[in-house]
Amino acid sequence: MRDWIHSWHRYIVAVIAISLTAFAHSAMDTSAEDDLSRIFLPEAAHAQLWSLGFDTVLADYYWLQALQLVGGERGDTAQHIAMIGEMVELITTLDPWGGGPYRFAAIWMTDSKQSVRTANRLLERSIAHIPTDWRSRYYLGFNYFFYLEENGKAADAFEAALGLEGVPRYLGALAARLRMNEGGLEMAADFLAEFARTTSDDFTRVEYLKALDEVETERGARKLDAAREEYWRRHGEDIRDVHDLLRGPAPILTQLPPAHPHFDFPVWRIDEQSGQIVSSFYRSRYHLHRADHDEERRERWRSMQEPDARAS
Amino acid sequence: MKSLARIWTIAMNTLREAVRNKLLYALLFFGVAVILAGVVLSALSYVESERILQDFGFAAIRLFSVAIAIFVGVTLIHREVERRTVYAILSKPLSRAEFLLGKYVGLLVTIWLQMAIMVVFFVAVSLVTGAPLDAGHAAAFALIAAELAVIVAVATFFSAFTTPMLASFFSIGIWALGHMTRDLRDIGASSISESVQSTTALIHRVMPDLESFNFATEAAHGLAFAASDVWLPLLYGVGYVSVLLVAAIGIFERRDLR
Repeated sequence: MRDWIHSWHRYIVAVIAISLTAFAHSAMDTSAEDDLSRIFLPEAAHAQLWSLGFDTVLADYYWLQALQLVGGERGDTAQHIAMIGEMVELITTLDPWGGGPYRFAAIWMTDSKQSVRTANRLLERSIAHIPTDWRSRYYLGFNYFFYLEENGKAADAFEAALGLEGVPRYLGALAARLRMNEGGLEMAADFLAEFARTTSDDFTRVEYLKALDEVETERGARKLDAAREEYWRRHGEDIRDVHDLLRGPAPILTQLPPAHPHFDFPVWRIDEQSGQIVSSFYRSRYHLHRADHDEERRERWRSMQEPDARAS
Repeated sequence: MKSLARIWTIAMNTLREAVRNKLLYALLFFGVAVILAGVVLSALSYVESERILQDFGFAAIRLFSVAIAIFVGVTLIHREVERRTVYAILSKPLSRAEFLLGKYVGLLVTIWLQMAIMVVFFVAVSLVTGAPLDAGHAAAFALIAAELAVIVAVATFFSAFTTPMLASFFSIGIWALGHMTRDLRDIGASSISESVQSTTALIHRVMPDLESFNFATEAAHGLAFAASDVWLPLLYGVGYVSVLLVAAIGIFERRDLR
């Protein structure tokens, strides 16, 4: 009986102790929100020295912390962008062969041109360490094209990705369009012809040849643009139909260029919305296509940068 | 030949003694626990979770194996002297060199056995989660085994002439410094002082360059490697262990055990 009471007492004490512990713990503020902004970030060189060969584990630790900064409901991510940059700098110094953190920086570090340039520097490091991964070059090209509006550098990055395993087939054609924006139609045509000649993938070659057809059609459209201007100069009015260029006692053109290099059925017409002469095959001119929502996003980004530019 | 048999007898005896040490099981348990915990931690990342899992696995194997090597290794000689069993052993036709080498081999076999258990868990977890396993992983395990051989030799060296407390302190210091020497050399090379440059270069040459056995990053990332990336560190390890054991034997032979 006495032993039973003793063990019974022990159970009571254990239950009280567990209850107290649970109560105290649940009453504590255990949220990590504030702590995350105070993460200790050592200098990369010091961390490398003191990691004692556990560089990758330390890099993994900071990588998981970086994910916590942007994941879940951790407040305004924009506040943490500078810290994300420092974390990825540290992570990629400790372990430069992990591709994820570089792309993570490229996705999140887009609040200002300064941040985008920092992300690009990290992507360059990724390219140096993982040259066979097309994604780093792709992200780099996108940053140059979308945020920094440096189409030549974007084309350079995309072109460098061509031929790497897994690269999307449209990338060469996109690089050529960027080249056209930067250096004109002939440059785009030269690049496409070179891509088509050097690629080892038949499906990709078809994509380049299709893009070359579009460039050839654009050449015809530009010829018609010049003829249209001449018509305006001579008659003081615009053409109503493309065939006006062939009419009259002294026609501007004796014949229309083909509306497609290989097919006979496409015709030239004036697009009602843009007023441009277009081939019925493509229904738009050869230029960099931007979806409306992308253009809106870009405008928002530009307007965000303007106050900064004025301040500086 | 008889000498090898005597060394082997001491080694097996040391192995039997070491497996009775509860510290070994405690550290082995934590090592396996960290390998398994890697599954949960790696799931927190949306990319490269297999690599993170293997990073934790390699770290657990290296850290806990080194801990076992040091904390079990430093008591090697001291325990025999303290229990006075060394006198009974050395009164037999057995040289001090054979005794010390037997102790070294016995402890190394123990450490390699516990490492093999952790490797089994590492491989099992990798297979279950679909993480890749290739020749790089085999190379990394071989180099971890070589690093452990050096660390056991360091612990044996210090246990030949000092107390377990000091031996563990020195061994941990050597292990830490061994992983820093490359960075120290690089930092020293950028110094304007020539003495700093030469001192850090000397430390790099004299201290064990334990980073040369660290192949975990290459294995986890599946990076290409040359055969010389493996056999040169292995050769370096054999050389370094030999030097340490010769020095330890020299000291132990001169030691007054009375």
